[in-house]
Amino acid sequence: MKAAIELVLLFFVAIALTLVVGVRDAGISDVWNALFAFDASDPTHTVIRSVRMPRLVAGLIAGAGLGMAGTIMQAVTRNPLADPGLLGVNAGAAFAVVVGALITGYSDSGMMAALAFPGAAIASIAVFLVGGARSGSGSPIRLTLAGVAINALLLSLVSAIILSRAETLEIFRFWVTGSLAQANTRPLEAMFIALLIGAAIAAIIAPRIEALALGSSLARGLGTKPGAVQLSALLAIMLMTGAAVAVAGPIAFVGLVVPPLARRIGRHVLRSELVVSAILGGSVILLADTAGRLVVAPAEIRVGIMTALVGAPVFIFVVRRLKPGALT
Amino acid sequence: MSALGTGKEILAGWVVLGCLLVAAVLISLTVGQIMITPAELLRGLMTGTGPGSLTLRVLRGPSTMTAVGAGAVLGVSGTIFQILLRNPLAAPDVMGFMSGAGCAVVAGVAFGLLIPLPILAAIGGLVAAALVAGLSFHRGAKQSPLTLILVGIGIGFFASAVSSFLVIRMPPQEASDAQRWLAGSLSARNWGHVLQVFGLGALLFIVLALQVRAMALLELGDELAAGLGARVERARYGLICTGVLLAAVGVAVAGPVPFVAMMAGPLGMRIAGVKHPASRLTAAAIAGATITVFAEVISRSAIPGLQLPVGVMTGIMGAPYLLWLLWKEVEAGEV
Repeated sequence: MKAAIELVLLFFVAIALTLVVGVRDAGISDVWNALFAFDASDPTHTVIRSVRMPRLVAGLIAGAGLGMAGTIMQAVTRNPLADPGLLGVNAGAAFAVVVGALITGYSDSGMMAALAFPGAAIASIAVFLVGGARSGSGSPIRLTLAGVAINALLLSLVSAIILSRAETLEIFRFWVTGSLAQANTRPLEAMFIALLIGAAIAAIIAPRIEALALGSSLARGLGTKPGAVQLSALLAIMLMTGAAVAVAGPIAFVGLVVPPLARRIGRHVLRSELVVSAILGGSVILLADTAGRLVVAPAEIRVGIMTALVGAPVFIFVVRRLKPGALT
Repeated sequence: MSALGTGKEILAGWVVLGCLLVAAVLISLTVGQIMITPAELLRGLMTGTGPGSLTLRVLRGPSTMTAVGAGAVLGVSGTIFQILLRNPLAAPDVMGFMSGAGCAVVAGVAFGLLIPLPILAAIGGLVAAALVAGLSFHRGAKQSPLTLILVGIGIGFFASAVSSFLVIRMPPQEASDAQRWLAGSLSARNWGHVLQVFGLGALLFIVLALQVRAMALLELGDELAAGLGARVERARYGLICTGVLLAAVGVAVAGPVPFVAMMAGPLGMRIAGVKHPASRLTAAAIAGATITVFAEVISRSAIPGLQLPVGVMTGIMGAPYLLWLLWKEVEAGEV
């Protein structure tokens, strides 16, 4: 109970900081007025409504999507190193959008961003096949290396495409590390709906995933079809990761850092873990983004770099805690 | 390795390997926005005038030769770790040493330190290697190569993130250059770079030649090596240092080019059909140079009028190799 209260508190602090902190100083009262007593002539109100609100929404979509996708991936693969960023699912989504924009010549927001979903799906299928997850022999190291390879390949291709179109460095950075700075140009409403559908699927199949964790023969005895559950999990991961990448670019490590904490707070019940990882993921992204705007102000550090600075040490910590036998 | 052949086959393998490198260098010198025929190159080399001479001296010669040098040192470095850890995945790029070296160079530039790049790269590489070794240490348990590789991947993530962080602090033009360099770049190289990579590389190859006997012994296993008179720990640390320094020399002139170090050893061994460490290292040097030169020429001529960083190309070439390696191991039920 105490953990739950702290979690909610953290969430509201993260939201408040996102709206208050920035180049233009704004107090809590300014934020309140901008939202509920909007004055179009006040530039502070305009900044809060047109810049910081989209940023907040994009951060919440990305954080909740990546956090929940990470939790589902870790539960299905029983691999504590599974993360949509590290396994190349994010890169697949980014790659599909960039290729779509290249072929059609249209800009990458709106309909083009929907290509993030098939991109995420194909990359996840590829990484699970190469990583050996299907044959049940998937080990953390093999899955991680498959992710490293798919990431390297897709991000190299994304770089080549973007550099060949002579786009600005800002667009390049968005599709390679992720950022919330372009939030007001991203299709937020559509991606929010996609995230909700993905989360609903995840919540529905959560008990069956837990049954699978007991072993597939036992799960079958309890009336669970492993294939159907894995397919639904893939669908949920695709929707949640695709939505996250479409609004914020490929951000790594959120899906790695959030699930272990969610397991503790959610008391190892997958449905509660999902709720916790959505709130925690959103808070992590918002706090990372706010920190990135503060440390080198008036410049800003993209949120994907901030999550990597925190996430890489966590990655090493998780590797160290793996039992030596679990690696092979 | 089943690909080992008889003496004649091995000789043929070396010839193939050498021809590939020569072909790569020739293609790199002739192909580009302006095509130069080999005859013009030869005339340029002999007389010192004409378009061939300009290409050799200024336009393509330095980049091509830097690619040869960087590819060779990276290939040898990767093979040292692959032999020491008995694992094809062990390479300074996968294990974060090159990202560490790159990070130190970027830090040096960002803070305006007046330290030569190779020294910065060496410091960064050695610090990364020490961190990998220290952090994968489990009390009372033997270090598994897989733990080392995973921790190395983590260190690589961290070093890359720190590099990106530092780049933001730079002025825009410098930041753009640094970003490009961090992807691995061979554009705008001069003869100073060539001299640097060949000079330092040759020095380290001599050091390595003195260690090859110990390396061959270590390959037999620690107990047997100790029984045959090798000082196991000392030999291992010496080889690790040489490997990291070789990678740093490559990073200093070409940036942290991914996957060359990982691919070169297995490719060279397969083509030349050799097994002894000394031959494997030599084959890896030639193969690494060939891969890098090919990647360099593709990266600047694939899209007309545009020079991609060479690292983008080695990523596109190397990542499928890593996937294939993993896939093969899944099929065989190994790893």
